[in-house]
Amino acid sequence: MNSNNFFPSLWRFLGIMVVQVLLFKQVALAGPYFTILLYPLLLLLLPLQAATPYLVLLGFATGMTVDFFYGSLGVHASAGAFSGLIRPGVLGAFAPKGGYSGKEPIFAPAYVGWQTFLSAAALFFGLHIFWYFSVDAFTFVYYGMITLKSALCFGLSMIFVVLYTALFNPKN
Amino acid sequence: MGNLLQLFIRFGGFVTFVLVEAFCFFLIVQYNEKQDAIFTHSWGIFSGRILERQQKALDYIGLSDRVDSLTKENAALQAELANTRVFQMPYRDTQFLVLRDTLRKVDGSDSVIDKTTRPHYEFIAAKVVGNSITSTNNWLMINRGTEDQVKPGMAVVSGLGIVGITRHVDRRFSMVLSVLHRQSRISAALKLKNGELPAGSIVWEGGDPAMVTLRFIPKHFIEFIEIGTPVVTSGLSGMFPKEISIGTVFDKPEADIENPYFLNIKVRLRQDMSSVQDVYVVKNAFATEMDTLQTKTARQ
Repeated sequence: MNSNNFFPSLWRFLGIMVVQVLLFKQVALAGPYFTILLYPLLLLLLPLQAATPYLVLLGFATGMTVDFFYGSLGVHASAGAFSGLIRPGVLGAFAPKGGYSGKEPIFAPAYVGWQTFLSAAALFFGLHIFWYFSVDAFTFVYYGMITLKSALCFGLSMIFVVLYTALFNPKN
Repeated sequence: MGNLLQLFIRFGGFVTFVLVEAFCFFLIVQYNEKQDAIFTHSWGIFSGRILERQQKALDYIGLSDRVDSLTKENAALQAELANTRVFQMPYRDTQFLVLRDTLRKVDGSDSVIDKTTRPHYEFIAAKVVGNSITSTNNWLMINRGTEDQVKPGMAVVSGLGIVGITRHVDRRFSMVLSVLHRQSRISAALKLKNGELPAGSIVWEGGDPAMVTLRFIPKHFIEFIEIGTPVVTSGLSGMFPKEISIGTVFDKPEADIENPYFLNIKVRLRQDMSSVQDVYVVKNAFATEMDTLQTKTARQ
């Protein structure tokens, strides 16, 4: 990560974390089906060229930060680490023909277009959220409940992903 | 070094993921009550199953030793039981009619109870290695012979009842005249409700391997005989200990055609002769002495 990326990433991290732990955490208190997860966007908007081990560790750190405030030590961290691992695969699936040119610093609508961005974000968030609720339940016996919670969380979270991206139009 | 770096680049993400997830798993179980409870419960079931399989495997490995041990223990118990039954008879000395236990207390010395005055039985555990039930004259082979102090003319019993009498004995194996042999004659008695034990002889007349006939029971006992009355060894032969189970009365007694003063009684065997596997050869320590005495008496 160079200095062009570091500070924008840092402000983005702080901003999204504040919203996540102060605002969305209060919404979660309304019930287990009202979970909104915006912090995976931080992992999605990390530099395109970031190596996988680096992504895994950053995902772990991001998740741990959320865990400290949510009182669920290890749950979000596990989901974050998982998202770090799958990110290269997800972005690779939506890469343009010939791969990324190297000029795109991050995976954002400004570089890949809204359709590609939203498709990749939907897949990325879907997998992250499903992993999170599975770890939270810690058993696949209640797979129906896990699926329902994942679907509701996905819908709510994607709304805020679109809002954030449209509002801030991240470019680095 | 270059190869190592390439390897790390290729698999480093996954390895890092595995290590991080392992750490997350530890944190989740350690600091989250719900997940800890689920993990503890699941681990308990899982480790229980593992331990159960381990125990089954260990039990199976030690099974033959356990069976041998139980068979020996059973033989000892059978001997103890058989020898106890013999002493239910009162002991008469020159002046008194007393019971064995009382004699011991009065005199206080073992010399009054002469252990040689009664039969002494030992049970030798054996396995049936050959058997027949479909012939007119059936035999069994057992895996005990002269090396195990088995001799011809010894009774063979099982946990359920009588099996036969040893006839031909080799070093390690013996042929047993089955109770389902036309020549088999075993002294037996009815165990009546009034406490009487009228004695007769068990024979096999062929046909049903589950049924034998009790002969030479005096006909005046007919009113005391019911279906289900137990039939046991009489103990009069010296071969079979007293009151070893043989079976139960199967049908109403009939008069013996050859001698109408006696009854013929159908008896259902307790031991299924087709499936007998574990048996005991009964050694009477005083068999030789008793045989000699009988032979002398027969000559007179």
